[in-house]
Parts: sequence; C-alpha cells; structure tokens
Amino acid sequence: MRIQAKTAGISFIVLMILGLVLSMITGYWLTESSKEPAKYTDGEYAGASNPADIRGSYSLDDIHTAFDIPVESMAAAFGLREEDNPGSIQVKIFEEVFGIIDGMEIGTDSMRYFVALYKGLPFVVEEGTALPGPAISILRKEGAMTEEELSIASENSVSLESTHVIETASEVEHDDTVLMEIKGKTMFSELYDWGITLEELESILGMAAGARSMSVRDFCMDNGIEFSTVKEPVQVLLDNM
Amino acid sequence: MAKKMKVRRIIQIVFFTVAALIAINHGLAEAGKPIPFIAEASLHAVCPFGGVVSIYNLIATGTFVKKIHESSVVLMLIVFVSALLLGPIFCGWICPFGTFQEWISKLGRKIFKKKYNTFIPYRFDKYLRFLRYGVLVWVLIMTAWSGKIIFADYDPYYALFQFWTGEVAITAFVALFAVVLLSLFVERPFCKYACPYGAVLGLFNFIRIIPLRRNVSTCISCSKCDKACSMNIPVSTSGKVMNHQCISCYECTSEDGACPVPDTLTFTTKPYEGAQK
Repeated sequence: MRIQAKTAGISFIVLMILGLVLSMITGYWLTESSKEPAKYTDGEYAGASNPADIRGSYSLDDIHTAFDIPVESMAAAFGLREEDNPGSIQVKIFEEVFGIIDGMEIGTDSMRYFVALYKGLPFVVEEGTALPGPAISILRKEGAMTEEELSIASENSVSLESTHVIETASEVEHDDTVLMEIKGKTMFSELYDWGITLEELESILGMAAGARSMSVRDFCMDNGIEFSTVKEPVQVLLDNM
Repeated sequence: MAKKMKVRRIIQIVFFTVAALIAINHGLAEAGKPIPFIAEASLHAVCPFGGVVSIYNLIATGTFVKKIHESSVVLMLIVFVSALLLGPIFCGWICPFGTFQEWISKLGRKIFKKKYNTFIPYRFDKYLRFLRYGVLVWVLIMTAWSGKIIFADYDPYYALFQFWTGEVAITAFVALFAVVLLSLFVERPFCKYACPYGAVLGLFNFIRIIPLRRNVSTCISCSKCDKACSMNIPVSTSGKVMNHQCISCYECTSEDGACPVPDTLTFTTKPYEGAQK
C-alpha cells in the first residue's frame, strides 16, 4: 500500500474525528475535572475523599459537596465576603488574590490543607504552604484535627491584613457570621464590642488599657509590649466567645 | 512543490487556528463570555502529551496529573494509532508549535538562504538530537513525582498560546524566546532538540506500518530530498528511512515533495526490489 500526502492528511483527520466521536458516545471525552476527588484506596480512611486531589478548578460549592464542609466556614477561613458569592469561587484564585505573604504561599494547597485538618484526614502539605490566620480560628472551633496538628498549622499561618478581600476591622459587626480576629488595626472598642471585658484585657496587658479608639498594636508599641504576646491570648478569648 | 503540499499547509493553519481559539475561549469562558461553538476546554485538556505524562499516575493511583483530563488520553491514543500507521504525522501536520517554527523558519531562509538549517554539522547534530529523550525522561520522572504538569513551566508552546493569561512562568517565556531565535538559524529547533512528545512519537518511526522507502535503482542521488528535509535526515543514503526524527511531512517524496524522479521516494508498505525490508 502506498500513501500520498493528501491521503495521509485526510486519514489523520478521519481517524481523529472517529476517535473523538467514539469517546463522546462512550462518555470518555471529558475536558474538565468531574469535581469528585479521588478516594483513599487503603488504610483507615479507605473510601473517603482525598483532599490531596482537590483541584484549582474546584469551587467552594464543589468542596462542600465532596467533603461536607459548610461554604460559610471555608469562606470565613479564607477571608471571603458573603457578597463575593463564595460558593462559586474557584480555589485557584487564591494564588492570584493572596499569593506569597511573608514568604509563604496561600493557594490551592492551602485549601487542601484546610480541608484535611477540618475533616481530620491524612495529608502531606507542600513546603511553603500557609493557611490564612482566620482559618486557624475556624479550625479551632470546628476542625477534627489533633492539637498538635493545629499547633503546626498555626505556625504556618499568615495574616490576611494586607489583602483586599478581607473586611476591614471597622466594617465588622459582632454577630455569629462574622469572624472575630485580632489584627494590627483592631481597636480596643472592637474588642469590647466583641465581648471582652476591660478586666480581661488589662490582665493580659499587665497595665491599664488604652483609649477605645486606639489600635491594640499602636498601644503595644507605645508601651514596649510585643504585640504577638497580646494577640495570642486575646484571640483565645475571642475564639471561646 | 508548494502547490502539491497545499493540503499540509491548510491543515497546519486550521489546527493552529483551532488551538489559538481554544486557548482564547478558555479564558473568555472563565470570564463568563465564551465564543459560541468553540470548545471551552483548557489547552492542557486538549494536549495529547498530557495523556503520556499521566500514564504513571493512572497506573499507580488511578488519577490524572493535575489539570489533565480524560480528553488528553483520548487524543494520545488517536495520535499513537496514527503514528503506528503513518509515523509522527502529528508533528509534521498538526502540532501548532511545529507550524509556528516553520513560519519563523521562512524568515530564517530569507536571511541565510542556502546556508539556513546547515549551521550544525550533522556528525555532531545527530547526537544532539538525543537531547529530547533526556527531556522526556526528566519530564516523566518529575511529573510522576510531583503529580503536576512540571513541563508547563518550561513549555514554549504553552507560553505562545497563553502569554496573555499571567499563568506562564518566566522560564517558559525564555524557552519561547530561545526557540524563536534559534528558528532563524535552524528549522524546528524545539522539535529536534527538546520536544518530549516528539521524542515519544519519533520512536514510532521504527515500527510504523507505512515507512518512507527509497528506490535505490531509480534514485539519481541529486540530494534534493536531503535539502527538503526540515529535520536534516540524510534520506538520499537510506533505503528504508528509519530515523527517529522523521515527522512524515512528505516534503521529500516523489509524489508530493522534492524528489524529481517518479516512484523513487514514497511512503509504502511494499519494499522496492533489491532494497532492505
């Protein structure tokens, strides 16, 4: 058999069309993820969805379907506002929105890590992956991980202060849907509004508290106090509210 | 010759356009404004090499490499079947990046004329051609190890069709620039030295059902076939051309290409009399 150029070219096209039609008929022609993560194949968690298979194309709704984690919890963990319609947001935008913060990256792997901790599932996090600060608060309240795992996650968390997706402290109201997180801009008045008493604050500060309109960080700087030594116990109080 | 090979040029333009439209439409679809009747798939989803790099993951874990889907495996199988029959016709006729390099080469030919594509002596060049197998092994190992399409960060094809998206690594842009520059001196430099998928498909030249054969008894040894070969294969000294670099472009053949003697250089299953089988 001899093949000329025209025949060869047409043969390829025909072969391609036949292959595509056949794969479409059999349902194998899929150009995007099914949004069903792979399952653990062995061990204690065999049959459970594996967070390591979460793709950047997954939306928070997809993750809710696969792992039964409330969209509100994920949105709060990653500083997304309700008006952003967080359920439809794809995880891959995190790299763009947050990117590298303090040398750590918030991206798709951060969501995998969050889901794994939330559900108490085994997961090997990539080096350099960070969780947003609010995620630690959510995990502390709702997660199924161990204290040790939470402690490691806390060490790998970063503040979302510098990103534009999170609400500013002054916009936050005290209700069940709002995340209470002490940040550099948080004022004493906000802490009182969230339910912390003057006595509790002064006990942590070891001195009289500042003016209501003063930020806690500015107060600490003025008085030679390391902000982080105040932030942590205050956050514990807020988490227990 | 150009008139004879019109069909290849048309197919190349069609597939280049399709790839470009898919690349553009994927971004538009994500923004909620897709072009009607154009596939909304990502470029990764319609790349047959995605199927190759996913083989290990599919066997080991039953999952695809991230960003790769079933469609890549379908395309991989189609291209493999075509390569078994016709050799790496995908490289010579379909691959949009091969087409892109050919277009750049036209400029190179205008600048260097007959000197074009002859700067590297073949005795050295034929060993450099094995570099792409090193790239292939590296890509397969790294992809299997990481579960990610590692090559995207170095892939000039990806850089060409996604340069506006902000998703392309600087290394891929550097690779694209290098390929454009080299294409002014050498035809299809990426195909020759670095393409991992070309490396895979090139192996089909050793088992293809319809190989390129030279009729030694009628060949006038004019070497026009050698000059026409974009991959610098010494066709005029072969009986049955079993070179891993052949891209089945048909530019050298009697019926459609440079060979001036009828029935002397053809893709045929039947060996010429007295020739090697």
